Amino acid sequence: MNGSRKSGLVALALVLVFFASWEAAVRFFGVPVYILPSPSRTFVTLATNPEMYLQASALTLGESLAGLLIGVLTGGLLAILLTLLPGLEGGVMTLAILMKSTPLVAIAPLLTIWLGFGVVPKIVITALMTFFPVLVNVLSGLQHVDPALTDLFHSWNASRWEVFRHLRLPTALPFLFAALKISAPLALIGAVVAEWTGASGGLGRTMWLAYTNLNLPYLFAAIFILAAGGMSLFRLLGWLERKVVFWLPDSRES
Amino acid sequence: MRKNFWLLVSFVLVLAACTPTAATPAATEPVSTPLAEPTAVEQSPTTVVTEPSPTPAELLPMTFMAGYKPQANLPFVGVYVAKAKGFFEEEGLDVTVEHSAGQGQHLQLLSAGTIQVTNQDAAVLLQRRADPGLPLVAIALLGQKGQQAYAALKSSGIESPKDWEGHTVGYKGTPPPDLFALISAAGADKDKIKLVNVGFDPRLLTEGKVDVYPVFKSNEPYMIQSWGYDLNLWAAEDFGVPSLGLTYVTSEEILKTQPELLTRFLRGALRGIQYAAEHPDEAIEITLTYTGPETDPAHMRFMLDAELKDAQSDLTAENGWGWQTQEQWQALADMLKTEGLPVEDDISGAFTTQILEAARGK
Amino acid sequence: MNIQVESLTHIFANSKPQRTALAEINFEVKSGQFVALIGPSGCGKSTLLRLAGDLLQPTRGRIALDGREPAEMRAAHEIAWMAQSPALLPWLDARQNVALAQRFMPTNRHPRLTVDQVLERVGLSDAAGAFPFTLSGGMQQRLALARLLALEASLWLMDEPFAALDEISRERLTTELLDLWQPLHPTVLWVTHNIYEALRLADRILVFSPSPGRIAADLTIDLPRPRSEADPRFQQTLAALRAALGSTVTAQVAQ
Repeated sequence: MNGSRKSGLVALALVLVFFASWEAAVRFFGVPVYILPSPSRTFVTLATNPEMYLQASALTLGESLAGLLIGVLTGGLLAILLTLLPGLEGGVMTLAILMKSTPLVAIAPLLTIWLGFGVVPKIVITALMTFFPVLVNVLSGLQHVDPALTDLFHSWNASRWEVFRHLRLPTALPFLFAALKISAPLALIGAVVAEWTGASGGLGRTMWLAYTNLNLPYLFAAIFILAAGGMSLFRLLGWLERKVVFWLPDSRES
Repeated sequence: MRKNFWLLVSFVLVLAACTPTAATPAATEPVSTPLAEPTAVEQSPTTVVTEPSPTPAELLPMTFMAGYKPQANLPFVGVYVAKAKGFFEEEGLDVTVEHSAGQGQHLQLLSAGTIQVTNQDAAVLLQRRADPGLPLVAIALLGQKGQQAYAALKSSGIESPKDWEGHTVGYKGTPPPDLFALISAAGADKDKIKLVNVGFDPRLLTEGKVDVYPVFKSNEPYMIQSWGYDLNLWAAEDFGVPSLGLTYVTSEEILKTQPELLTRFLRGALRGIQYAAEHPDEAIEITLTYTGPETDPAHMRFMLDAELKDAQSDLTAENGWGWQTQEQWQALADMLKTEGLPVEDDISGAFTTQILEAARGK
Repeated sequence: MNIQVESLTHIFANSKPQRTALAEINFEVKSGQFVALIGPSGCGKSTLLRLAGDLLQPTRGRIALDGREPAEMRAAHEIAWMAQSPALLPWLDARQNVALAQRFMPTNRHPRLTVDQVLERVGLSDAAGAFPFTLSGGMQQRLALARLLALEASLWLMDEPFAALDEISRERLTTELLDLWQPLHPTVLWVTHNIYEALRLADRILVFSPSPGRIAADLTIDLPRPRSEADPRFQQTLAALRAALGSTVTAQVAQ
């Protein structure tokens, strides 16, 4: 079998071993369910509440993706703006760092006051968390073009826009994916944490309710979903990266 | 290359389009059974309505925010039941129920006018009025006694707060005033007690990380007992220390400009509480539609019963649910002052019976 | 395109200490001449190339291409640039890379050669759909050459294009380059460190001495192409070139 198939099976085996040891430990040491639930108990909880978890997951995923999309667009467009108007870089970056450093707990109520109780504040919070890596990385990519290539384009008398479109943008793509690999998991976490500050649905809310009821199987079921979701997102991004940024050696499969 | 770029773009758009915009943009509408939909309001046979019954289009909208997650706290239950049984509708109100994460944002939103009524612990209300000066006013005092207590495992042999000496006692957030008052009222030496900041985690008690754990009488004891442990509980009022519980709270602004709204709300909510006292099982069923399957119905029933008990006093027997007096509030304020906490000199603005009287006089 | 260089001086003011890359250079190149620029590192050869290509503006003096400013010639797409790194766009395949060069041509220019024709000329027809990362160094430079050809420019500015290649590829590409150049006969300014390469390719060799850059020697190579090392006149010219270079090294050391 080929390399990736094999490594996939190895990964699966490791996961199974992990769950088996966890199950064995809980049973052997008689760990109470409110300290650490067994994987079997957790999976049963998942299986007996499919609609609830499906609904919650869909909502959180939707918030994450919408926030991610906005964050990526904002970060990307800002990066483009700063490339075209480099004089703004200092000011914009300072603002961006300020925004990034502000703790969620402080902003969330403000956002609720301005934007209401629904999904919109969650999406905004997620966007706030994800835009910074995209801004920094894409800006880097747009600026760090091979000077040999800029010489070449200059000799072709290409206009600024042509240089941007044919040279800078494709150069920035691998940087964008590097940023996405950071931002996508952040988006998921961002949506969950935003839900903790008050939400009517979603995995974050489920986790919060479960914990305050010390109903750990429900909590862990949500954690399983988040972990699986984060992993899937990451792999999806990797696949997409290989397709889009096909020319780079590390994104090519052996 | 261009093809790949558009692949990327369309992929992202498709994923983002999966955001369920069907996900309710507003309230925590209960998940399962559809409740009373806005229909034409019939005349309630037991009340004499002087104004014409409002049609659905005339329902006044307002938002009640529960100060914590959905559960069977008495102020929440009053609202849940009033909404489910149509009491609010009969009052011409369309009440949206939201829940706060319990970090204080409900007070911010109230002060900003985004919500009209929420609930708050009486002692915290007094302190927030003094510092940072939030314009809060309690329109009903549901908890005639507070729910804060301290618990130790029976197996630990700690029988009274005097036995706390030489042990570890936990507190949530900052050391609450009733803790010190209780310790000195019981004649214990607080310097011999090790105080530890804990979060919400009653397992700390069962796993022996603290000897005494701070609980809400209506909440953690149920959990700990369901795990098979027996408890000794001590509450401030057992030692003569004043303690008040949860209130329905509004802002000075709303009290001034919308007393009619508040009156209708309170009337409906108190009816809800009355109904819950008479039909606790149904009240719990209604509450469960706000919580999820992770909540234990027996736990909720325990919570409701405990809080109903502490909502009743001689004052309420005479004047109805939620009654409050200057004496009650002053006693609490004096205790806070003794413990060195910020309290206004004149606390008469912190509560009002105006709405209670208006709700009653009908 | 003929080239006239008058009192050309270029000083890099921002480097510490200030570096005079070129000092009062004067020379003329007739249209269609293949001129090699050779000399030790830092003697201004690449700077001269960049000035000719309008990638830099001279501190003093001027360089005229057919009597006009390099900027004008650049705008008219009469200048083709090729550097040591192939500078291919990795996200475009061979055909698309060549096509890109023609894309920016002004609308009044109509290239006579199609992309496929150009690829055939350099022997890359089979690799037309290949991406640069799948091509060897030699093939990448050949593709860069194809791109250069596609521009149909009358001045080729080439900065050590074969320096990074192995000996065999370099040999082969040098021959191929001559085959491509001879029918078209554009003016070529070719920077190199390799004296054999200079002798095989150029009609004329300008030897530069460094710090500040000046022309130390101007050798005309009259030998017919293809040139063979066995030819005694080749060896003579080689000796003369070596001598000229040697004196520049001593001059550099003396400073």
